[in-house]
Amino acid sequence: MASLAAPLFPAWGADSLGVTYDGDNLHVSAADLHFVTGKTLQRLKDGAEVAYVAQLTLFYDRFVTPFKRKETRFLVSYDIWGEDKFAVTMPGPSPLSAKDLSAPGMEAWCLGNVWITAAGIRADREFWLQFEMVSGSPKELSRVLGDSGISVDLIDLFSRLPASDNRLTLQAGPLRLADLTRTPGRGRNG
Amino acid sequence: MKYAWVGCLLFGGVLFASPQDSESNVNARYTVETVILSGKGWTADLQSETTDKISSGLRHQLVAIIGQKLNPAVLDSLGQSLKKELRAREVTHRIARGTSPEHVRVEFEVKPARGSVGMSVTQFVYDSKQGWSGSGEASFSLAQNTFAFGLVSDGDWLPERYAGISARYENRRLGTDRVSLRFQFESYHEQWNTATITDLAAHPKTTSDLYRSRQDFEPTATISLARPLTLMVGARIERFESEVPAAPTAASNAVITTLRYHRRVEGSDTQQDLDADASLHAATNLLDSDFVYAMRSAGIRYQLRHGKHVVMDNAWAGILSGRAPLCDRFSLGNTYYLRGWNKYEIDPLGGNRAVHNSVEYHYGAFQIFYDTGAVWDEGQPAVPRHSLGVGIRESALSLAVAFPIRSGHVEPIVMMGILP
Repeated sequence: MASLAAPLFPAWGADSLGVTYDGDNLHVSAADLHFVTGKTLQRLKDGAEVAYVAQLTLFYDRFVTPFKRKETRFLVSYDIWGEDKFAVTMPGPSPLSAKDLSAPGMEAWCLGNVWITAAGIRADREFWLQFEMVSGSPKELSRVLGDSGISVDLIDLFSRLPASDNRLTLQAGPLRLADLTRTPGRGRNG
Repeated sequence: MKYAWVGCLLFGGVLFASPQDSESNVNARYTVETVILSGKGWTADLQSETTDKISSGLRHQLVAIIGQKLNPAVLDSLGQSLKKELRAREVTHRIARGTSPEHVRVEFEVKPARGSVGMSVTQFVYDSKQGWSGSGEASFSLAQNTFAFGLVSDGDWLPERYAGISARYENRRLGTDRVSLRFQFESYHEQWNTATITDLAAHPKTTSDLYRSRQDFEPTATISLARPLTLMVGARIERFESEVPAAPTAASNAVITTLRYHRRVEGSDTQQDLDADASLHAATNLLDSDFVYAMRSAGIRYQLRHGKHVVMDNAWAGILSGRAPLCDRFSLGNTYYLRGWNKYEIDPLGGNRAVHNSVEYHYGAFQIFYDTGAVWDEGQPAVPRHSLGVGIRESALSLAVAFPIRSGHVEPIVMMGILP
């Protein structure tokens, strides 16, 4: 597990980040993370679709110089005729989706699909990991980006999103592959 | 790093904004049962009722999604159209369970703008006999309150050419949506046509003397009696400064009331509008008025729209008993009544009896009309007059040539501009 885990924007309740290694990829977990809450939950219950973007970034120093990054996108909706059931889709050429999930089940499904490859990292090399997540309507996200081109930084981007409960940053490190909890996997890098 | 983050979101945004939105929303499998519009103090269920809050075009677009599978992208687009048309601060929508299983209600909520400033040209016309006429106003709206200030120069509507200013305060919701309040003040200077001056000299007791300026103050309240029926009650207080410098100011103080009816019937590909109104203006000595008269008028207007075809009929009649000032007498021969005729040729003082009917046919922007009417004074024979016209009209922009039908030479009148 991580020797340091710090929330920068703890709006979704999580205050610690767990990192595990399956031999190929790094996975994250956060026991108290509930990102379907507040205004976002109300929007979902009003039939709107909410977009989530999760990003994992790896650093060889203390969150200054990234050397690896991966982002994952989710589209979440709430079934008006279901019994507190959610549906989630990962858009892309080969989309993944799941339906009839409870809120915790949907959150777990999303987090389970957030991973980054550890290929190229030596087992005894220290590195730092940052997990970021942001939510909004699909149009809100594209509009925020469209307004300012590429000069906007992450804090600015967060501050310009309309809802106050739509952001999260968790950090962990220093980490070493050799120290991380191993989960079932191919074990190529182990 | 920040560029990469932005890049991934940008890519994500492109994906999020793609047509797969509607497919990824789990509610896209449900059927829209109805569409409900609501604003401050009003609600309309479009499945079972019509509303005059929005245009028929937008209403058709909203009604068209009823019975279809839910498409969230279309709802966003309709919300934007509502916001634009209603000049709303915000339009949000939500989806709720319908009364039947697997059906959903779409509810749009309109949040009105807190304040707005606008400038508009309400009329700007050229008549080859009467010359230019125009009016415009600047307005400021805050919640249900509107303040407006306008400039007018009009040689079209009345037996006089008048120019000046107007100021208006309007409260569209006085405690309830059923009552609105309006105060209007106008101050004008007059110019008189030679024909009017000559005719008045020959018939001095017919109406008021010529005046060089007039001021009107008109407080009114409009009450919605039942949904298609409204009643306007109020007063018109007018002051006339004589052309003769030492002459005293004359007053015309009247109680005014108008009952209006409006009904719209929409079919699958037709739209019918029926408007009717009846007015009474009564000026008496009890109101310290120098003029004592009663003016009664009534009108009915019918319009049938089918695709690009529009047929209209507009009938109107008025009776004036007593002695009313020149500006309150009936006048035909302008850009609205008996188009093609010159009002100074028909009756330069106006009349105390008038009747008029206009039939119009539009195909797209093309229009053709036939006007018939008469204006006369009690005890005199009514002379019916007719005119024909063709032109183009796109929204408020109009260009038309009207021909008075009479024996002898034909002298057409060209009219163009922005008409109300």
